[in-house]
Amino acid sequence: MSPSELASRIAGAVGSDRFSSDNGTAKVHIAADRWVDAHRTLSAEMPYFSWLSAIDWATEVVVGDAPESEDIEPRYEVLSCLGNVENGESVVLSTAISKDDPSLDSLADVYGGADWHEREAAEMFGIDFVGHPNLTGIYLPDSFEGHPLRKSFALLSREVKPWPGTVDVEPMPDEEGPSTENPEDAG
Amino acid sequence: MTTADRQTLSMHHSEVQVSVELQTPDMTLNLGPQHPSTHGVLRLVAQVDGEVIKELEPVVGYMHRGYEKLAEVRTYPQITALVNRIDWVSGFANEIPFMVATERLMGIEVPERAQYIRLILTEMARISNHLVFLSSLPLELGAATPLMHALRERERVLDLIEGATGGRFHPNFNRIGGVKPAAGAGSTQKKVVQDLPQGFLEQTKSAMEYVRDVCADMVNLVLGNEIFMQRTKGVGIIPADKALAFGVSGPNLRASGVPFDLRKTDDYLPYSNFDFDVVTGSNGDCFDRYAVRLEEVVQASRIVDQAVEEIPAGDLQAKVPRIIKVPKGEIYVRAENPKGEMGYYIVSEGGRGPYRLKIRTASFSNLSVLSWLLKGQLVPDLIAILGSLDFVLGDVDR
Repeated sequence: MSPSELASRIAGAVGSDRFSSDNGTAKVHIAADRWVDAHRTLSAEMPYFSWLSAIDWATEVVVGDAPESEDIEPRYEVLSCLGNVENGESVVLSTAISKDDPSLDSLADVYGGADWHEREAAEMFGIDFVGHPNLTGIYLPDSFEGHPLRKSFALLSREVKPWPGTVDVEPMPDEEGPSTENPEDAG
Repeated sequence: MTTADRQTLSMHHSEVQVSVELQTPDMTLNLGPQHPSTHGVLRLVAQVDGEVIKELEPVVGYMHRGYEKLAEVRTYPQITALVNRIDWVSGFANEIPFMVATERLMGIEVPERAQYIRLILTEMARISNHLVFLSSLPLELGAATPLMHALRERERVLDLIEGATGGRFHPNFNRIGGVKPAAGAGSTQKKVVQDLPQGFLEQTKSAMEYVRDVCADMVNLVLGNEIFMQRTKGVGIIPADKALAFGVSGPNLRASGVPFDLRKTDDYLPYSNFDFDVVTGSNGDCFDRYAVRLEEVVQASRIVDQAVEEIPAGDLQAKVPRIIKVPKGEIYVRAENPKGEMGYYIVSEGGRGPYRLKIRTASFSNLSVLSWLLKGQLVPDLIAILGSLDFVLGDVDR
């Protein structure tokens, strides 16, 4: 089954009309209040829980490049990836939650594997997974403040020294034919 | 002594008889983060009642390097050097899904020769990863001999990887659009055809013979060993449904009888051109996890043999722009790494680096099953179970 057929079928199964299959990645958008129900519906067909994570969509970013388009709605997008091990199909489920109250129901009851992934997302993005049995930090020291993967969180080493550093890179000698080396990347 | 005294004494005596079952409060047993059996900086906090584990909480994060954040300030070509270091026991294999994801977003077609080189080196990384596992589990159970045998042949494989890429553990060999020209090739030597080192393919074939030989030795040395069987058979059983719900993948999942292998289902490298078997176990215990990996080494050497025979001539690199900019889009590409499913979810906003890079690693999910798996097990079995899961803390913490 092609990714577009798969996305369309999964969307039908969970009652969603927003799906995409760009770049061969089947992705289905789900309303936040249907998040757990949708996973429960799919758990028989897609018993393999691959991962869960989030994206911070922001127009103002402290690190990296800001999104190309200005009209991005600031939100956290939570993603989960499920798989069918018999035919190798895989689908990414997505939901949007507001930045003012970043909370979402926990999947830990549906998929045991969601436990650790939600702990990581909670720590990195400050998302509250309601109903999680033990929503404590997983990676960071207890005294750590802030949520590092938020776009508003500064990367300290970049504050101390901007990247790419001010290293003088000699220009590459003129070459014939295609080149993959980018002198600016050498720094 | 009066009669009354005697009566009291005998009463005391009988009480002692009755209360011979001593109160044994639960004890907290802490293993790690520096403990040789944990393969790195894993810490386990176990509540034990005598020898039985009642609760167990793995504590991870001692190796957390924040790659997902770092990737947001790096360019795509720079990230290759980062992803090498996620699972350093099979460094080369980590690069593949990231490269394939980036190339698909950019619409680059990788030359067939480069794809074959990637495939050969991935399988050699798998062999070297599995040989470490095959030697370390018996070592933890008290058998030092297999280590000597397996690591000797692993050294041959590593030497070949080093010859082709310049690095034993962190090859950093893939480039967007193909692979790096052979070590030592600079822009001044453009006219010289740079490719795999001379004799690489022949030496690889003979190394595969050695690898298969040592696997045959390991079958005799380890699988048929009475002590090894008693320590691993029926120990640490992960049923298939639990494994799936926890996202356990790779040989750990296949040992539980699920024939799920991304080399068969996905098309990130031309595996469909080769004949190989997906190895599965039936019980999902430590013994099966060992036996599955042992046979996987043989299958990987078969793939390498075929690829070495059939490798086409041609370019090592597709034409790519001088400055790598990835068009706006999202993609998830996963690959069957030695430890299981490794995948990258790239969100590109059209810049020179990703807007968000989610790294899905096998060891993270494979280890998340520990709390459930070790409940009710004996402390001595903990060592066998930990060893049988084949994780690397860099792959857990990222």
